Amino acid sequence: MSVLSQLNVIQVSGLTKSVTTLEGSLTILSDINFSVKSGESVAIVGASGSGKSTLLSLLAGLDVATQGEVHLDGDALSTLDEEARARIRAEKIGFVFQSFMLVQSLTALENVMLPAELAGDHDAKAQALELLDKVGLSHRLAHYPSQLSGGEQQRVAIARAFIGSPKILFADEPSANLDSKNGHLIETLLFDLNKQNGTTLVLVTHDEQLAKQCQRIVHIEGGQLEKIIEGVAISVG
Amino acid sequence: MWVKLAVKLFAREFRRGELTIIFAAIALAVLTVFSLSSITERIGLNIAQKSSDFIAADRRLSSNHAFDPKILLQANEFDLKTAKMLYFDSMLFANDELVLSSVKATTATYPLRGKISIKDDLNSQPYDVDDGPKSGSVWLSEGLFYSLGVKVGDNVELGAGVFNISKVLVKEPDAPFFSLSGNKRVLLSYSDIETTQAVQAGSRVFHRLLFAGTEQQLSDYYTWLKPQLKSNQNWQGIKDRQSPLGDNLERAERFLLLAGLFGIMLAAVAMAVSAKRYCERQYDPVAMMKTLGGSRRVIRNIFLLHLSLVTAFSIVAGLIVGFILQTIGADYLAQFMGTELPQAGIRPWLLSGFIGLVCALMFSLKPLLDLFDIPPLRVLRRNLGDSLAVSKVHIVLSMMTIFVLMWLFSGDIITTLILFASTLFVIAILFAISRLLFAAGRRLGLSPGSSWSLAIATLQKRANANAIQLISFALAIKLMLFLVVLKNDMISDWQMQVPADAPNMFIINIAEQEVDPIKKFFNDRKITHEAFYPVFSGRVDAVNGEEFSRRKSKQEGEEKEEGEREGVSREPNLTWLASLPEGNEITEGQWFSGGDAIEVSVFEGWKDVLDLELGDTLTILVNEQKLSAKVTSFRSVDWGSLKPNFVMILSPNMAGKVPVTYFSAAKLKSEHTKDISRLLQRYPTVSMIDIKAQIEQAQSIIAQVSLAIGFVLSIVLVSGALVLISQVQASLAERMQEMVILRTLGAKGRLIKLATLYEFMLLGAIAGLVAAIVSDIVLMVIQQQLFDVEGRMHPYIWLLGPASGGIFVSVIGYFMVANTMKQNTQGLLRKLS
Repeated sequence: MSVLSQLNVIQVSGLTKSVTTLEGSLTILSDINFSVKSGESVAIVGASGSGKSTLLSLLAGLDVATQGEVHLDGDALSTLDEEARARIRAEKIGFVFQSFMLVQSLTALENVMLPAELAGDHDAKAQALELLDKVGLSHRLAHYPSQLSGGEQQRVAIARAFIGSPKILFADEPSANLDSKNGHLIETLLFDLNKQNGTTLVLVTHDEQLAKQCQRIVHIEGGQLEKIIEGVAISVG
Repeated sequence: MWVKLAVKLFAREFRRGELTIIFAAIALAVLTVFSLSSITERIGLNIAQKSSDFIAADRRLSSNHAFDPKILLQANEFDLKTAKMLYFDSMLFANDELVLSSVKATTATYPLRGKISIKDDLNSQPYDVDDGPKSGSVWLSEGLFYSLGVKVGDNVELGAGVFNISKVLVKEPDAPFFSLSGNKRVLLSYSDIETTQAVQAGSRVFHRLLFAGTEQQLSDYYTWLKPQLKSNQNWQGIKDRQSPLGDNLERAERFLLLAGLFGIMLAAVAMAVSAKRYCERQYDPVAMMKTLGGSRRVIRNIFLLHLSLVTAFSIVAGLIVGFILQTIGADYLAQFMGTELPQAGIRPWLLSGFIGLVCALMFSLKPLLDLFDIPPLRVLRRNLGDSLAVSKVHIVLSMMTIFVLMWLFSGDIITTLILFASTLFVIAILFAISRLLFAAGRRLGLSPGSSWSLAIATLQKRANANAIQLISFALAIKLMLFLVVLKNDMISDWQMQVPADAPNMFIINIAEQEVDPIKKFFNDRKITHEAFYPVFSGRVDAVNGEEFSRRKSKQEGEEKEEGEREGVSREPNLTWLASLPEGNEITEGQWFSGGDAIEVSVFEGWKDVLDLELGDTLTILVNEQKLSAKVTSFRSVDWGSLKPNFVMILSPNMAGKVPVTYFSAAKLKSEHTKDISRLLQRYPTVSMIDIKAQIEQAQSIIAQVSLAIGFVLSIVLVSGALVLISQVQASLAERMQEMVILRTLGAKGRLIKLATLYEFMLLGAIAGLVAAIVSDIVLMVIQQQLFDVEGRMHPYIWLLGPASGGIFVSVIGYFMVANTMKQNTQGLLRKLS
């Protein structure tokens, strides 16, 4: 492995994903190649159905590629089984989803603690309290997701994403389910925390404005990498 | 670490009600099995005890020849308690009166079970004792005091011996319920037989050995005894089908068993539905946990711990509630039956706990395994894993489990097979019917925007899901209807057996010339009475000329002992009648032809015992006079009724051929007590047998068993309701999205609520109708096969089924939807997301 590739926390090479449907084989992603450096923020943009969410799922090891490889912090994901990939996610990855994906039976604090608890971290509560304070929800610790607004739920999800200090953060349309005011708040929070923690951010969005806040933009069209726009990040704050 | 998380999640899930139905279903299965099996076991033990009292032992060996002494010696080796008895008829002499009596000589250990009821003199109150008379004294039944004109303390001659009359014999535990010699009985010490010199070589005597011990001891002993039994030796158990109560209690026991099976079936369905639903609700959290790096092992441990906790809690809760219910039920029952119910053993505890465990494991195993397979990608692709929800393995596994549970509970493979196979058949039919109905519904034209058209459209859209729902609704309603109807039939049958005006006194030994004066005596005092039947004692001596004692006995097994009752088998009471008595039915052959030859109609239970065929000629010995009668019919006899029943009825052309006495029955009230004393003084040979106590006991048992059945029925109804609720709840989750869309599009809450109401009403009514039809058919079969009663149709359930189904299902559905609709659309949307 070259020095360059060691700097790249994500290395994608010849990534292809096909699925079998009733009509035959359907290629969702075809021969994608790019890399993400440690601490970098990258936006994956494209129209609905372009394959950007599939790309995210492959990058995060939620799914496996048909061809090609994803190296995540040096680990070739295709060589790992589901358990090993889960371990990598536990150690190195944080997630923020469009639909928040909070566990309904757990409170805000417990939701944030969940990844750390699953990893067997004994310091979960202290970390969670600190993160919830950072996202401005220290007064909502004992609230259940159904008792929180959409914006608040996403702030809980962001706090959860940063627990355990992950190396990489994957965000799938984090503000798409929110009104513009709340959406903007969430985006700011996400980038702020990302900066503070030195996390690598991979953001899937169809929002050009949001994408422009990232250092690079990867354009996907019809399952193919159309272009990569470098150095577009607008400094925030 | 995961344990803490698992316990936290469990506590939250429990509080949110996600686990309530699973908890309730397991607890209900456990409490149903526990309360039913312990009540049935306690009643069963009580019946066994009562039956043992009825033969004064647990087993008895009878013969008309003396027994080999080693039979008794070997019984002692097996640690069995034993007693010896000898019956013979002998003349009693006192005050110049000579009366033929039935003498029973017993050893000191008699009775091994039950008690002897005696009185110190004719006017005192009876009380119970454990032993018979001491050597040198005898106890006489009341009738003999009148016939001989003696009192307690007098002497009486019995054969060559003179004995002191020390007590009035009221009842021995094994005294015949009704026999002609019933009121001329003498109880004597076995050691005094020699003194009487009444038993000589060739005398007609009857030997009996009594045994008591544990079932194991008795069974071991019988294994030793069986090969040595001679054809004229008869080993008898405690089964007593001719007891008026035995039949009813046996039917009640069968009902309880059936109800228990249905309860288990329903609880199992509720469990299967709710376990599947619970696991489906966990798809998202599991996908999320996997995404967040939760390993499969941790996730598996978390949910297995949930299952273990909910199982443990529900089994404990089921056992506690079951114990409380059975204690209340059994105490109440015991109080009214005037007896103590023996405590049940450990079996109900083990059985119900085990059934709870099996329920929990088998019904949730497959959904849980599916749950562990949920891919983390579901967090991005929301419908991923949904296809796992319909699992044939789960259905097959659940069905197999239900079958094994039913078998385990009933211990009766045939009943289990009948019920299970019929249920499978019903499911198949219902599935076909439901698909047809929903397909036909598509052609119905209803105005757009109405609640009805929305309801119909929803029904069609979910044809498959509705078919499954329809089946579970119909099954639940079917089982409930089934038990309600069976309970009603059974109770009304019982009440008919003991109507309010049933006679409570049998009057026997009436001489021909006494018939008219006694009739007049009754009529003058407005005492209602039955007809006066001619009766005489006879013994079946030969069949087709072959002496009966030499014929091969078929009475070794206990199964063949139905016809065996003291006083009946030895010398059955015979009568002649022109027409078939009430409660009897010809099962084979024809009623009397009216020809010159003497014909006989025999109780069907005797057909196998005596190895009889239609057309056989019986030689009946009546007072040394031999009569030949041709068997022209076999009859079923309702021994459960408290009416006089006859094993053999001869044709009316018997009149005048043998000396007879007459027999009748009357309904006596307390104010008639003095009249009866006067009657007995005026006609000292006439005897009365008071069956008031038996009737009262029967009535109180019927009332209490009905109560117990009602209680069991309510448990089953709760199980049924649980199935319906779990199904509605499961389908409601699917409906949420549609409701939110409709609501968002501006549909009025009333429209949605009414549409749900109509949809569930239609579903419930269809399910109820199908359930009613199927129940009625299955009922006919079950009533005939399991309850030995005539199957009949029940038109009222054809209305009750759809009405109750429609109302019950729609009310549950309506309230659940109405509750959901209280939230605003944004709240619903948030819940959905």
